[in-house]
Amino acid sequence: MVFYIIGLGLSDERDITVKGLEAVKRSERVYLEAYTSLLLVPKENLEGFYGKEVIVADREMVEMEADKILEGAAERDVSFLVVGDPFGATTHTDLELRARSQGIPVRVVHNASIMNAVGATGLQLYRFGEAVSIVFFTDTWRPDSFYDRIAANRRAGLHTLCLLDIKVKEPSLESLARGRKVYEPPRFMSVATAVQQLLEVEERRGKGAYGPETLAVGVARVGSESQRIVAGPLAALADVDFGPPLHSLVIAGETHPIEQEYLKQFMVDKVGLAAAGAAADAAGSGGVAVPQ
Amino acid sequence: MVKFTIEEIRALMEYKNNIRNMSVIAHVDHGKSTLTDSLVAAAGIIAMEQAGDQRLTDTRADEQERGITIKSTGISLYYQMEEEKLKGFTKERQGNDFLVNLIDSPGHVDFSSEVTAALRITDGALVVVDCIEGVCVQTETVLRQALGERIRPVMTVNKIDRCFLELMLDPEEAFLSFRRVVENANVIMATYADEALGDTQVYPEAGTVSFSAGLHGWAFTLTVFAKLYAKKFGVEEKRMMEKLWGDNFFDPATKKWTNKPTNSATCKRGFCQFIYEPIKTVIEAAMNDNKEKLFGLLEKLEVLKKLKPEDKELMGKPLMKRVMQSWLPAADALLEMMIWHLPSPAMAQKYRVDVLYEGPLDDAYATAIRNCDPDGPLMMYVSKMIPASDKGRFYAFGRVFAGRIATGKKVRIMGPNYVPGTKKDLYVKTVQRTVLCMGRRQEAVEDVPCGNTVALVGLDQFITKNATLCDEKAEDAHTIKAMKFSVSPVVRVAVEPKVASDLPKLVEGLKRLAKSDPMVQCSIEETGEHIIAGAGELHLEICLKDLQDDFMGGAEIRVSEPVVAFRETVQGTSDHVVMSKSPNKHNRLYLQARPLEDGLAEAIDEGKIGPRDDPKVRSKILSEEFGWDKEIAKKIWCFGPDTMGPNMMVDMTKGVQYLNEIKDSCVAAFQWATKEGVMAEENMRGIAFEITDVVMHADAIHRGGGQIIPTCRRAMYAAELTAQPRLLEPTYLVEIQCPEQAMGGVYSVLNQKRGMVFEEMQRPGTPIFNLKAYLPVIESFGFTATLRAATGGQAFPQCVFDHWELMGADPLQAGSQTNTIVLDIRKRKGLKPEPSALSEYEDKERDRPGKGWVVREKVTRPGKTNKRP
Repeated sequence: MVFYIIGLGLSDERDITVKGLEAVKRSERVYLEAYTSLLLVPKENLEGFYGKEVIVADREMVEMEADKILEGAAERDVSFLVVGDPFGATTHTDLELRARSQGIPVRVVHNASIMNAVGATGLQLYRFGEAVSIVFFTDTWRPDSFYDRIAANRRAGLHTLCLLDIKVKEPSLESLARGRKVYEPPRFMSVATAVQQLLEVEERRGKGAYGPETLAVGVARVGSESQRIVAGPLAALADVDFGPPLHSLVIAGETHPIEQEYLKQFMVDKVGLAAAGAAADAAGSGGVAVPQ
Repeated sequence: MVKFTIEEIRALMEYKNNIRNMSVIAHVDHGKSTLTDSLVAAAGIIAMEQAGDQRLTDTRADEQERGITIKSTGISLYYQMEEEKLKGFTKERQGNDFLVNLIDSPGHVDFSSEVTAALRITDGALVVVDCIEGVCVQTETVLRQALGERIRPVMTVNKIDRCFLELMLDPEEAFLSFRRVVENANVIMATYADEALGDTQVYPEAGTVSFSAGLHGWAFTLTVFAKLYAKKFGVEEKRMMEKLWGDNFFDPATKKWTNKPTNSATCKRGFCQFIYEPIKTVIEAAMNDNKEKLFGLLEKLEVLKKLKPEDKELMGKPLMKRVMQSWLPAADALLEMMIWHLPSPAMAQKYRVDVLYEGPLDDAYATAIRNCDPDGPLMMYVSKMIPASDKGRFYAFGRVFAGRIATGKKVRIMGPNYVPGTKKDLYVKTVQRTVLCMGRRQEAVEDVPCGNTVALVGLDQFITKNATLCDEKAEDAHTIKAMKFSVSPVVRVAVEPKVASDLPKLVEGLKRLAKSDPMVQCSIEETGEHIIAGAGELHLEICLKDLQDDFMGGAEIRVSEPVVAFRETVQGTSDHVVMSKSPNKHNRLYLQARPLEDGLAEAIDEGKIGPRDDPKVRSKILSEEFGWDKEIAKKIWCFGPDTMGPNMMVDMTKGVQYLNEIKDSCVAAFQWATKEGVMAEENMRGIAFEITDVVMHADAIHRGGGQIIPTCRRAMYAAELTAQPRLLEPTYLVEIQCPEQAMGGVYSVLNQKRGMVFEEMQRPGTPIFNLKAYLPVIESFGFTATLRAATGGQAFPQCVFDHWELMGADPLQAGSQTNTIVLDIRKRKGLKPEPSALSEYEDKERDRPGKGWVVREKVTRPGKTNKRP
């Protein structure tokens, strides 16, 4: 029958599309991919809403035991739920290719992704360059290739969407090198950490791709009711408390007057002071000269 | 009874020009410990009568029982030189008192690691060679090690009493035999000479060779006799020395020296006439109880007055021993030789610093070591851990190279895995007590300045086997180089407690065992088995005994049959470039394996090529000696296993962006894979892994360690499997001494044990034959016993690890000899019975059915097209 890859949207169980919901209801097994992104509600909410049991598929299951997921999909419907859009920031092309090579028909149900929902900041999607991920730095692994991309985007006057690392059930590197798997506790990168790492790399590379004064927009829980957007100089965002995950960050390129006007409502001095938090206060007093 | 106090010794420690740190090294049974006794006796620690019997430095009961040395033991001797004996002494000195820190080390090859640890902390070595057996395999091994550490040697030709009493050699025969021993030793010294040391060969006529009878406590250098005759002949001592060795003949009838024997009956070689014969006469007179003649002779030699009345009452052998000790005391000759010809720490550290210090040779620490500066920053190397009488505790024994170490001082302990600038393998702790080692006794002192050996209390929990100590705040100090052992732990046994509840005792005991021996390796297998790895059968036997008796309080253990560690290697280049995909399928690594060039693995073993070399220097050696492309030689990513092993990973990619972001992951995978090869999870050896291409996901988050490490390891396994994998087996060089009639037995045993004789030589002037053969380590268990049985106890083997021998059979071919070995190892390790197939490790290019690389380029490159506008 059909292997459905269904986007869930950004925030809770009710973001699924009507078409997606129908597919889920028809399916014999429903998997939820839960490592490249994260829904803001627990899986029980999903089960309650869909009236179906939902199997959580972690990274190992998707990457190593893909055949188990596809099992029987030729005879019956199987759904694979992906937070956001199936082909958004995450990459499930491999699963689709596998299904096709087994002669299983695949249908994809799209949904919103941070890749387009970031338009909520007022920055025009047409003016975004290559997206980058910012990963947690460790003592030995500090990949900074994103710097070149941001630099290229900025040179072309484009905005850069920075996706921030999430680690759900990742084996620790030490344990990997020893061949036994010990999982690290889940971690989500906050805007503050991302800003810190970005500034560290700028200091090291020193090519001036961006700086503490560069205009940036931090977003948290986009699409949910507690969505929070704060704009301001990069350095100032480090002091803003964005609350629980997930966070993303946009480094602005050249801004159109309309974009500037729209961003004004999110400026750190306004929202920071209004929205509470001593941290925001401190940031507000840091002076906010919006680069024109 | 003790002639000196600890205060006197402590005071001398400040005079860095009056210190000699030296080790006694030799082949097994050439008489090191016995000779050491004579020295100790002179310093007044044991009675002269017992010298030769006591073996003070054999501190362990089993050493005494077996009559061999197992652990090296330190002892400090205080020696006062008479003014007259220092005439012409040109080296710097402060007064006539000298401090000799002496380390007696084992001669059996299985304990070579003890010798290595001893050499590191000494500046000079007394090489003891049996005058009959001559230079043996272990003599060569230890000499090579000594010269590698820039240790200056002097030599003593030992057991010369056998020439007089047992073999009844005539003077000319004895001379030729002695000369051959000296020449053979010099050949080795010339071979391994180090320019920084200058001429390290030894010459009797220069006083750097002595002749000794350790068992009887007497010895002489030509100096002693030269002094005697110089007066009589009225020539300079130096001239006289030259006449007393080599082709110099004297005819008393004509009173003329010639350099060829004339035909006159009275013309004899100087050495024979003036040295050998007088000694022979005295010995014979004493042995025959011809006291009249004896005392007459002694009167002339001015020795009679040294004899006590009761000594004169002695008869036969005791009389001879007493007389010879009085005439030619061993300690005087040997200590004089050491003090005159071995370097003081102040001299030695000037040239040793280059091979000792890991950091830049012009920083404060290197400078302090070079100058042996007691006021400089502390630099101390702990070379071994000595079990203390307090069970379970250890002294950290080593040498202070700069500054001083004191009771209560806070020190930085940098272990062998310390990386400058990190906290890895680093502790800051307080020294509870500093003590001096006096054979079986320890004496506490307040502090110890540089140039001396010392033992520390209270650091044993933070040091496994060795470490570098420096000042608490010296954060920029580098470590002192790790020691290179000449033997490898190739023989392993598994141990388990007889009673399961003793397991904690075993675990704790193994930890202590690992500390107590410089080389033994204790590890836990995946299966939970506890493994002990040692150099040979004897070494393991001693380790197991220590483990049970000393470190586990007598709890009983069960020991498996010994097993041998193999190595995995490849014989050819991978028949195609293998590719593995990361779990998320977005990263692909392309690899191939090939064997390292002949001799390269050995060069890495010896440290000639290693991870810390200057890449330019390394590339020069690799291109000139091993025919590498210069550019490629600069792209070596790492060595492994354990970052120094004899395998390499080389980056052969062209223009792959952000490759450096996955380098660490590849290195981690490489360390893991080279430690546990694909066939039997044995270490790999002599393999170069070449990364030919890499395709990466555009975004860093999708190419982290979790994606790359397992992939790289799989790719390496696939590469190994496609490059004609083979096993290497450890092989001993075995040297066997036996009389002619036992040769048949020796050959039949060797045949039966897959041994291969490559040298057979009769020792000149004796019916003894010397055989050299290669013997697989796995066949060596019980070899000694079998050989003894087959030759009626007349053949004596010495096994020393020599090389890794390639086993021709294909381990992947079911039923082959190596396949059986692989299956056995897997079974023992609790792995799944068969090695996994290639398809387990190699991934298929789904989208290139036979179209070659072009498709891959097209399909995957878009991920990397981040061209700048």
